[in-house]
Amino acid sequence: MNNYFRCFCAVLLLVFAGSLAAVDGPVIPHGKGDQCVADTDFMRRNHMDLIVHQRDETVIKGLRDEPFSLVECVACHAQTASDGVVLRVDAEGQFCQSCHAYAAVSIDCFSCHAAVPDSTDRTLGGNPAVGAPMAHSTVPLASQPPDLKLLAQLQFYVNALAENDHAKH
Amino acid sequence: MQSTSNSVSARRRFLQKLGLLGAASALSSYTLIEVSASTAQGASAVNRWGLLIDTAKCSAGCDACVTGCNEEHGIDATGRDDTRAQWIRKIDLQDNLTGRESSLPMMCQHCASAPCVDVCPTGASFKRDDGVVLVNKHTCIGCRYCVMACPYKARSFIHETISNQKSIAPRGKGTVESCTLCVHRIDANTGQQPACAEACSKDAHDAILFGDLNNPDSEISRSLKQHKAIEVRSDLGLNTGVRYTGL
Repeated sequence: MNNYFRCFCAVLLLVFAGSLAAVDGPVIPHGKGDQCVADTDFMRRNHMDLIVHQRDETVIKGLRDEPFSLVECVACHAQTASDGVVLRVDAEGQFCQSCHAYAAVSIDCFSCHAAVPDSTDRTLGGNPAVGAPMAHSTVPLASQPPDLKLLAQLQFYVNALAENDHAKH
Repeated sequence: MQSTSNSVSARRRFLQKLGLLGAASALSSYTLIEVSASTAQGASAVNRWGLLIDTAKCSAGCDACVTGCNEEHGIDATGRDDTRAQWIRKIDLQDNLTGRESSLPMMCQHCASAPCVDVCPTGASFKRDDGVVLVNKHTCIGCRYCVMACPYKARSFIHETISNQKSIAPRGKGTVESCTLCVHRIDANTGQQPACAEACSKDAHDAILFGDLNNPDSEISRSLKQHKAIEVRSDLGLNTGVRYTGL
């Protein structure tokens, strides 16, 4: 009986911990525009592959006019604080860092890459982990027409990623 | 007789399937080619980018190219000159015999047979198809073999944490870097000159000429045909992309 009670308690505890974790997810600041270059679910699972692919295309082949460039990520996802200072995407509570801290995955992109868009005054860039956490943006954002070329390319990437997955298994 | 006709029809079916398979694979490769053709051009071996530097137009006190380069790539002064990055430096020469003085900018010479590429243990130091020699900082381990191998002392190692980088020039501690021939401008394909050449022209010196060495009609090729230009350390046979006149 005692054992049953213990089991019951353990299950209760697990359910409680699970519900806590579900509530306590990362708060991710909203980027510019209505949506990312691809569906949110797709980007959450595959952004790292897209970025690595783009990285090699750019550095080795010189293909810079591509949809998944890190510069574009930063351009959309860097937030501006109320005092006009543009915050680094790897600052605490910001787009990249909030999720990566939650998932306990450290990223090294911004030790070399610019973490604020280029139009920003570089003296205001600030240091990582100094930006205040931002709440979800409630500003209405201009909708953009879908980019057909980009969508076609995305389909190509999705297929390539799927093929890669099959090759692994 | 029956078995023979069976085997013939089986063979026929097999060949038909093989044909279908071939058609399918031809179709899929066609699709792949179409997708890749729809993207931008990128670096191509059709071009070989280079510089022609007229030292007669380069004055000893001027460092416009150096500051132009530093501004373009966000190479800020650290206050520690021994370890700061240097993509271009100015060199003043004096002929010991005649006393003739000349001045020139020295940067990565974008060699066709680059020693830095030869010695790199990870392949991070590489030559693009269009002849631009670069460091892939994603795979650079900071061993500095290339720094030692370069006869032109063109490579810099980054000793300190850098902040406020420009998006076109990612730079970071623990990696090696050098002149990229303003590869972001080349890739933009807008006909823009590298920052050093632009700064030199802005100061009305016009000592640095950028262009395609593979194109016989380009200004740089026509200039090279007319004037005697040298490679620095031509004895090494590296076939440099940067040439000098008036030395």
